[in-house]
Amino acid sequence: MQQYSLTPTTRRQLLQESFCGLGGLALASLFASDSRQARAANPLAPKPPHIASAKAKSIIFLFMAGGPSHLETFDPKPLLNKLDGQVRPAEFGKADYQFIKPDARLLASRRTFRKHGQSGIEVSDILPLTAGSVDDLAIIRSCYCDKVVHSAAQYELLSGRTVPGFPSMGSWMVYGLGSESDSLPAYVVMPDPNGALEAGQPMYGNGFLPALYQPTMFRPGATPVRNLNLPPGISLSERRHTVELIRDLNLAGNIDRDDELAARINSYELAFKMQTQAPDVFNLAGETKDTLDLYGVGTEPTDDYGRRCLMARRLVESGVRFSVVVSGGGAANLQWDAHQNIEENHNRMAKKVDRPIAGLLQDLKRRGLLDSTLVVWGGEFGRSPEAQDGKGRDHHALGFTMWMAGGGVKGGQTIGATDDIGLKAVESPHHFRDIHTTILQLMGLEQDDLTYLHQGRKERLTEIQGKVIEELL
Amino acid sequence: MRLTAACFLICAAFAGALLRAQEEDVSVDRSHWSFQPRSVPAVPQFNLPEDRNWVRNPIDAFVLEKLRTQGLAPTVEADRRTLIRRVSFDLTGLPPNPEDIDEFLNDPGPDAYERLIDRLLASPHYGERAGQQWLDLVRFAETEGFEYDRHLPHAWRYRDYVIRAFQDDKPYDQFLSEQLAGDEVTPVTEEGQIAAGFLRWGPIRRNAGNPDVAISRNEVLTEMTDTVGVTLLGMTMGCARCHDHKFDPIRQRDYYHLQAFLASTFEDDVPLTDAAAQATWKAAHAKVNDEIKKLESALDKSTGDSRLDLLKQIKDAEKRLPQPLPAISTVRNNDTKRTVIHVLKRGDDKKPGDQVGPRAPGVFLSKGEPEIPATVANPRTTLANWITSPTNPLTARVIVNRLWMQHFGRGIVNTPNDFGLNGDLPTHPELLDYLANELVAGGWQLKAIHRLILTSSTYRQASHSPDQARNVKQDPDNRFLWKFARQRLSSEAIRDSLLAVSGKLNDASGGPSVIVPVDAELVDLLYKPSQWMVTDDLTEHHRRSIYLIKKRNLLLPFLEVFDQPTLQTSCPKRESSTHAPQALELLNGALSNELAVAFAKRLETDAGPDRRRQVDRAFQLVCGRLPTDHERQLSLTFLEGRSLNEFALAMFNLNDFVYVK
Repeated sequence: MQQYSLTPTTRRQLLQESFCGLGGLALASLFASDSRQARAANPLAPKPPHIASAKAKSIIFLFMAGGPSHLETFDPKPLLNKLDGQVRPAEFGKADYQFIKPDARLLASRRTFRKHGQSGIEVSDILPLTAGSVDDLAIIRSCYCDKVVHSAAQYELLSGRTVPGFPSMGSWMVYGLGSESDSLPAYVVMPDPNGALEAGQPMYGNGFLPALYQPTMFRPGATPVRNLNLPPGISLSERRHTVELIRDLNLAGNIDRDDELAARINSYELAFKMQTQAPDVFNLAGETKDTLDLYGVGTEPTDDYGRRCLMARRLVESGVRFSVVVSGGGAANLQWDAHQNIEENHNRMAKKVDRPIAGLLQDLKRRGLLDSTLVVWGGEFGRSPEAQDGKGRDHHALGFTMWMAGGGVKGGQTIGATDDIGLKAVESPHHFRDIHTTILQLMGLEQDDLTYLHQGRKERLTEIQGKVIEELL
Repeated sequence: MRLTAACFLICAAFAGALLRAQEEDVSVDRSHWSFQPRSVPAVPQFNLPEDRNWVRNPIDAFVLEKLRTQGLAPTVEADRRTLIRRVSFDLTGLPPNPEDIDEFLNDPGPDAYERLIDRLLASPHYGERAGQQWLDLVRFAETEGFEYDRHLPHAWRYRDYVIRAFQDDKPYDQFLSEQLAGDEVTPVTEEGQIAAGFLRWGPIRRNAGNPDVAISRNEVLTEMTDTVGVTLLGMTMGCARCHDHKFDPIRQRDYYHLQAFLASTFEDDVPLTDAAAQATWKAAHAKVNDEIKKLESALDKSTGDSRLDLLKQIKDAEKRLPQPLPAISTVRNNDTKRTVIHVLKRGDDKKPGDQVGPRAPGVFLSKGEPEIPATVANPRTTLANWITSPTNPLTARVIVNRLWMQHFGRGIVNTPNDFGLNGDLPTHPELLDYLANELVAGGWQLKAIHRLILTSSTYRQASHSPDQARNVKQDPDNRFLWKFARQRLSSEAIRDSLLAVSGKLNDASGGPSVIVPVDAELVDLLYKPSQWMVTDDLTEHHRRSIYLIKKRNLLLPFLEVFDQPTLQTSCPKRESSTHAPQALELLNGALSNELAVAFAKRLETDAGPDRRRQVDRAFQLVCGRLPTDHERQLSLTFLEGRSLNEFALAMFNLNDFVYVK
């Protein structure tokens, strides 16, 4: 038995000495020595990608919940402005909306679009700082999906199906690639503190994959992860001995050196690592003023989203595989769901995220992390060219914009196009399954090789075969 | 060049015609084992005395024969201590208490074990354990999922119906018929209506704005058809919805034929109160609802403190809404609204093909058998009659395989919801048929099959073999049952056992579901936080997990982390993963820490102040055995100057607590 006679000075040191320090010693003898050792010790140990040359190791998904308008952000439509107040000309075809009727009038965008960067891509003045990074962005202007209601479209965006119960992108990534971190959860969702989204928790879930691949929902505040804090009234030194007792009793009971039991013993070591090391990652105090300013931390209205974007960068640095940073939650108008007044809603929402997103891109870049970090921006659909209630826009699934940056993406380009009023994706249209296929590809995963047998089907993220968006690579 | 292209086109057209002709003729695919009638296999006989000794019932004969052909041998019998813990969890989902263990250990009767099985099968907790497995299968939940996740406040009646059915050993054919068509029986009974709730539990997408009635209806029908296929028939019909099934001889047409049985099925809520009571309720509800509406409209215009105040007022008002009146969530036929069923190209309701009526899948019928008229009265009764027919090749096989899996952790067919071409082949096909035959011959009574399985030598094996190393090499997954495979407890069994050993379990049965407190952040993420109305009576919080509300958009984190299913689709088999958040839950979680204190108190009450007796008692309660000398020493050393609460918590974290050997 190892003795503990040191007087540890910090919480971290204390816990590490009490438990993790012993890990190497104990683990060597814990597992039957065969080739499955690493995975038996830690079922989340990293796995090699299918495509060895893939650059992206982590993903940050900037989820603009509620459906941001392509017409006010990345997809300028001069003709739409000319046709303001008119009924959609018949040659553009039909569209189904959730609320507005076929006789709705087209609504001009009040935004001004200007060319930015060396690429000269037009971006609206609603996102002036993101526009500064346009040479890093591959802007896909021809996205489409199947549903114009939030819940079903959110399920489709996150899990590739319009119904709940299927694993989300994040769970698939961790299933395919494991985790690069043994002290942090591999898949993290940072919801908007304003409240829920329509599809609720199931959209982020592991579906039929084992709970091992479930997301960790961060809470606002200093301890974002459940159960990382000791219960009230329990001191650290007291608990240290308890955890040692658990380990000793479990080791005593595992006389056969059974891998499954050993993995369970090891999970306590990992839990303790998480408990000791994760709080350091969650603590932004060590960041410089310059960095905090870059993300807009400490100023309104960017403080909240800025903190969460900065956290995402810190998670990436620590090896977290998939982070979702949600903008929008609670009532429709607290999301990008601008039914009543597109100008008021989008100005307000954009001001919260523009600086943090631009800051994140710059920060990743200057730290050399952008090449290995895929940043994805988008919502569950776009917004209608027609007006709802005079100044708002309804949900719209036939053509809208998403962008990707970093992780091997060729920036400074637009891909595909909608028609002249932004109604339908007409040039290189890309369904969500193409987005998913491309994200998998960038992470080094083949859609057909990343499968899980469920109810007699080899399920995969893309139900129907998706296409890789080749221009993007 | 042009000629070649034309030739190609002609050939392709010809091939297409051939393909179509083939599709009509399903006889080519009838050879798959699960579509064949059940055989009547001869029970293998043995000459060696040791073999004859080992074979207690025909199960053992079938298993032993396979082991012998594989060059494997069964292991020793587990000791009584191991057996009582194993069989208690298997049949009740709860650990045996030390007194029951002692009684069993000291029972000199030659049939002590058989009597133990009978006692456990008669225990009121048997229905709860078996019921949970059925609820997993039928994707039971008490909310509708999707955006609104509306609550179905009467769904618990179905949960209680299921528990009762298993408890009373209701014949399985009747159990299925009631669930498929309980509402079609004349005169209709409450029991039948409650059972037919089976068709209600799928997630339902409701949305505001322009109604897309046809799409929504198609979603509901699809969900019902898929569930009937996987749960009752072990057939993954879902793939056939969009295209001819890649693997099964189940054609796309067959899918829609099956769906046609459900074409007039619509949701229905049957009140259990009279019109006057309903009128009073409506008035009371409208009054509070109006208040809420007013507050909500004020909310849209408010900011800051007044907004917070309004939110609080709304929350308070929502609490004052009257509780729903007793009712039954069920379905009923509505012939005037019956959906016309078409074969849908790629499953798309905008691309209807031929119109079809109800009919069993062609592979089960003789060639050219006509469909039933779509207007047939009681279509689901017709379907139930086909499914529960003693000659249906799938139904009995599918359910005995599920029972087998409940006890051994893997099925004879290890894809319990898929007996089709893409599913696993049975490891012991003769045994499967034998058990299915027994079930049907015995009047579809499940307890008899449980008894047969549990009293076999196969089941009574130890979880370790003297030939472990060699056997693992040859049969790493223990497919041929050379030992009993250790299993981790289900999420519910872990929670229920924590409550049981700490003496806090409220083992009342039945009634409306309980809502326990969870982190405020999770409640804030609900569509309406007021949906999570925590049950006032604190003793209710310690009910068995099966009585806790099953809300699709908020799974209890404790259960979720230990692989509780999503409640969205049928779950035939629990996952059993091991990861750090489980350790954090049992170390730092509120429930385990609260119960550790209770457990420590119980140890003091049961064993007095003597540390050694406390340690022994703790091991007896948690692991069903005394500690080894080494374990006792470790524990006593720990307790020198340290709190019994922490020792109690450590016990909850033992491998021997969460695993059954």
